[in-house]
Amino acid sequence: MFEQLLHIVENHLRRFRTGLVRGARAFHDWFWHGNDSEGRGLKLLREWLSPQQLAQHDANKYFDVTGCESGKRYRIYHGTSMNIHEIDGAGRPRTGWCFVPNTNLVAGDVMLVQKIALETDECGALAVAKKFESKDQLN
Amino acid sequence: MATQIVMDHNGDTRQNFDANDAKAVLKAERRFKALTGAGFTAATRTADGEPVVTRTFDPTAEETLFFSRLVGG
Repeated sequence: MFEQLLHIVENHLRRFRTGLVRGARAFHDWFWHGNDSEGRGLKLLREWLSPQQLAQHDANKYFDVTGCESGKRYRIYHGTSMNIHEIDGAGRPRTGWCFVPNTNLVAGDVMLVQKIALETDECGALAVAKKFESKDQLN
Repeated sequence: MATQIVMDHNGDTRQNFDANDAKAVLKAERRFKALTGAGFTAATRTADGEPVVTRTFDPTAEETLFFSRLVGG
């Protein structure tokens, strides 16, 4: 009787342990592989930012770029869409611009592409971009 | 060692090649042409760190970054 009970408990424990190991492995894969991609994207972005942009990004999670053709300033926030705001002389957000690479990329990569596009081909980037109203415009 | 960096869903994929190895340079040039031909934009950095879009393969560029076509978000 006691041996049967022990056997049942052992089986339950074994199933519980197997489930726990599978769950831990899934969590490990999700956590490390997910963060690896994000981490690589941010590392690449940091390598390509100017010293001023890097300092700004570290302090505020955004950085400013100057459009190569108009000289206008744009603020690129951390994100993968609707994260670019044209800013005025006082740093207030004006028009929002949204353009992204047509492949699925992590945030760091998207922000780097947006920076390069505005600094090297501003008109080309804005030609495909969609405008949106920034919060300050709505107030 | 020069590096070609292609942005992808994993962050990026890197291919290193020796700019003094003619065979490796040829392979890198083919990769450059295949990517830009497929619509990727290639960018390098000046000595000052400014990004520059390039349409011709430069084996002396330390890093060449490739990203796909832009679309409105």
